[in-house]
Amino acid sequence: MIEVINFTKRYGDFVAVDDLSFTIGKGEVFGFIGPNGAGKSTTIRFLATLLRPTSGQGRVAGHSVVDDPMAVRRVIGFMPDDFGVYDGMKVWEFLDFFAVAYEIPFNYRKKIIGEVLELLDLTHKRDDYVNGLSKGMKQRLCLAKTLVHDPPVLILDEPASGLDPRARLEMKALLNELRGMGKTILVSSHILSELADFCTSIGIIERGKLLAAGSIQEIQRQLRSHRVLRVHVLDESISRAATILRDDQGVRSVESFDHTLTAEFEGQDDDMARLLGRLISEGVGVQSFAEEPLSLEEVFMMITKGIVN
Amino acid sequence: MLLRDNPVLTRELLVNLRSPRSFLLQLVYVSLLGAVVYFYWPSESEGVRQVGSGVARRLFELFFLGQFFLVALVAPTFAAGSITGEKERKTYEMLLASPLRPGTILIGKLLSSLSYLVILIVSSLPLMILCFLLGGILLSEIARAYLVLILAAGTFGLLSVACSSFFRRTSSALMVSYLVILPLAILCVALTRTDHADPRAREFVTFMTVSVLPPWCLAIWSVVAIVIVRRLLRPPDVGSEGKDVVDEEEEMKYAIGVVIDRDLYPDKLFAPAKRTDLMPDGTNPVLDKELRSEIFSQGTLMLRVVIQVSMLLSIPLMAALLFLRSDRAGYYVAYVLTFNLLVGPVFSAGSITQERERQTLSLLLTTLLRPGQILFAKLVAALRVSTVLTFLLVEQLLLAFVLIEELRDRYWTLIVFLLIIATTCLATSTIGLLCSALSRRTTVAIVLTYMTLLILFVFPVGMHYYLQGFVSISEERLASFTVTSPFSAAFSIPMAPSQNNTFTSTPVAVPEQVLIHLTPRIALPVWAIFLMIYPPLCLVLYGVTYLVFRWRWWRAGGLG
Repeated sequence: MIEVINFTKRYGDFVAVDDLSFTIGKGEVFGFIGPNGAGKSTTIRFLATLLRPTSGQGRVAGHSVVDDPMAVRRVIGFMPDDFGVYDGMKVWEFLDFFAVAYEIPFNYRKKIIGEVLELLDLTHKRDDYVNGLSKGMKQRLCLAKTLVHDPPVLILDEPASGLDPRARLEMKALLNELRGMGKTILVSSHILSELADFCTSIGIIERGKLLAAGSIQEIQRQLRSHRVLRVHVLDESISRAATILRDDQGVRSVESFDHTLTAEFEGQDDDMARLLGRLISEGVGVQSFAEEPLSLEEVFMMITKGIVN
Repeated sequence: MLLRDNPVLTRELLVNLRSPRSFLLQLVYVSLLGAVVYFYWPSESEGVRQVGSGVARRLFELFFLGQFFLVALVAPTFAAGSITGEKERKTYEMLLASPLRPGTILIGKLLSSLSYLVILIVSSLPLMILCFLLGGILLSEIARAYLVLILAAGTFGLLSVACSSFFRRTSSALMVSYLVILPLAILCVALTRTDHADPRAREFVTFMTVSVLPPWCLAIWSVVAIVIVRRLLRPPDVGSEGKDVVDEEEEMKYAIGVVIDRDLYPDKLFAPAKRTDLMPDGTNPVLDKELRSEIFSQGTLMLRVVIQVSMLLSIPLMAALLFLRSDRAGYYVAYVLTFNLLVGPVFSAGSITQERERQTLSLLLTTLLRPGQILFAKLVAALRVSTVLTFLLVEQLLLAFVLIEELRDRYWTLIVFLLIIATTCLATSTIGLLCSALSRRTTVAIVLTYMTLLILFVFPVGMHYYLQGFVSISEERLASFTVTSPFSAAFSIPMAPSQNNTFTSTPVAVPEQVLIHLTPRIALPVWAIFLMIYPPLCLVLYGVTYLVFRWRWWRAGGLG
């Protein structure tokens, strides 16, 4: 659905984005992660047809960002990280303004404005002036604006920045709802916990370079030269289990605490399955056997070097 | 504390004078003045004794007027952003919460914004002394001129700081400063003219400028300063709780006289009723939004006051220029043109820059709207408001043409006058839009627009006045310099002298108009050439605006 091919953007000598390539499939929620100044907004503005690339190409729903921006604008809903609202306009007028700008016919407009207001829980604010709304409300209004033409692709730049915890949670629920509606979403953030729950894949960018991209599990796997296994066993079989683990050639080290064994393991998924099979066949009472998931924060910290900040 | 160790002053001076730009600007300014002096300096063949004094007086007056308008134009650009800039950078509250006293802040802001201007003025002094050496001017006159300049700089600067303290945006403050200062400047120049033939009139003007003007200025300074300090001490505009919302009913309570009733004529023409339902299909949404938005959001009250005062002023002017001396109809038209010159840019110069400043441009640019649609909407909306407001002043002209016989006989001049006014409206709006597309900030766009309009409209009239009968140029050549000015166009229409000024009953011949030969065969008056060049010029400017907008905003990296 979204394709970025060798995108490079230079400002004079400064390279904001360097040879970036990634692909986002239909219905995916792609989390774009990176420290401040890494080049996230530059890439997003490029995809939103607001920025000419120094070189490279981008495609959204098959349309070229560079050569056919109007077609791209039709299929994307764009929410910039910093946006303003017009003075002296009411909420419904604001939405009507953008609905007309997206060439939505009159009869359909009436329906869709009502629907969008309802989806974003703004119905009670319909007749309020937009410049009198709180930050969270404005953020929601802007999201409403990006939805009026029912675009299959949403490009959201830091949609939850500057919101209070409640508004942040509500924004997250909203994005989940949009994901349920089958929209392809590119969302950027530097707050990782925001993305971890609902992104199907992520891309990590630093200093204009894409360091890793793919599903979270994939990246985790790429990252780990050794994985961490956590094995809970019944009390009496702990020493036996430890011996079996130590004997396995994929296991580097084993620590036991209470009746939990933590092992550093090097190998593929089937090696892991074979190990579990051995434990069980040797009569160890395995309560649980799992790879310890790496949190997104850990992934991020491992990948980025923190140079930008 | 007020002057020494004033941190506000130190910081501003440091930032302002540190850039090489300020030095370059000064260099260019002095070189320009030097070039003018060099150009006028009598050559050796001319007897310095005979020509010198006349030259010196002309130069002196040119310098004075030029610098006076420079002060009027430049003082607001520095001062109007002094406090709004703090608000925009969100440093205002930090500054107010510091132990600095409001007086210290005010002095710091005022001196820092005027210091550069004063440096510019003083750097012209050596050239002025050169003129003095030519003879014909008194040293006291030079001193008087500089006194007026410094007083003007102080007054205009302080008024701009006052506007700055009252508004949230620099653009609004700058606009209102110009609306207040430019009429004041024109009035001041008219009152302090020294080229009266009557020596008693000259003496009176000297007396006024030396003994009356300074105390009055000081009084105005103190009042304005007290108002600003009180405002800084207890700022009503800190924080944003619901303040951004325009409450029309609340506004109307404070509106002096000008209350807009959107359902009534003529208000309907420039402020159509708010929509109660969705826009019909095929509407240009930008145009609809612009037309229906609060037209006075740009510095609400002052703009209303300026419009109100202009309307009131038009009545005595109508009596003086149309009914008593119908041959002065061109001067009434000049008044209408001045109104448009002042008010026109208010509605167009911010069109594009404000979208950027409000951070709505990126929202607009990702929609399906074409750059042509956006620009057209902006132009039409600005043109409509400024034209309707300007044409409200034309009623008096129509009345005069209906009632006065001498005017009625020459009804075609009415058509020409109306065409000149309409063309001027188009020109101010188009130039404003172009400047808005060229600039990144509204303040820059406003200054650029006023500068361009003054150069096109007012400068030729001044040139004409100063060169007349002084340099050996034919009247035709002289007139050909002024074809860009609607003022010259209006003055160039010959009007029959009023009969109540003549004692004979025979009709007096209409004075002949100066014709400019375009080719040896075709000769046209100034107004005809003016009407011929502006419509295509505006079209070209609009085309340039389109290209600039497209290149700069629509698909460019300028937003980053």
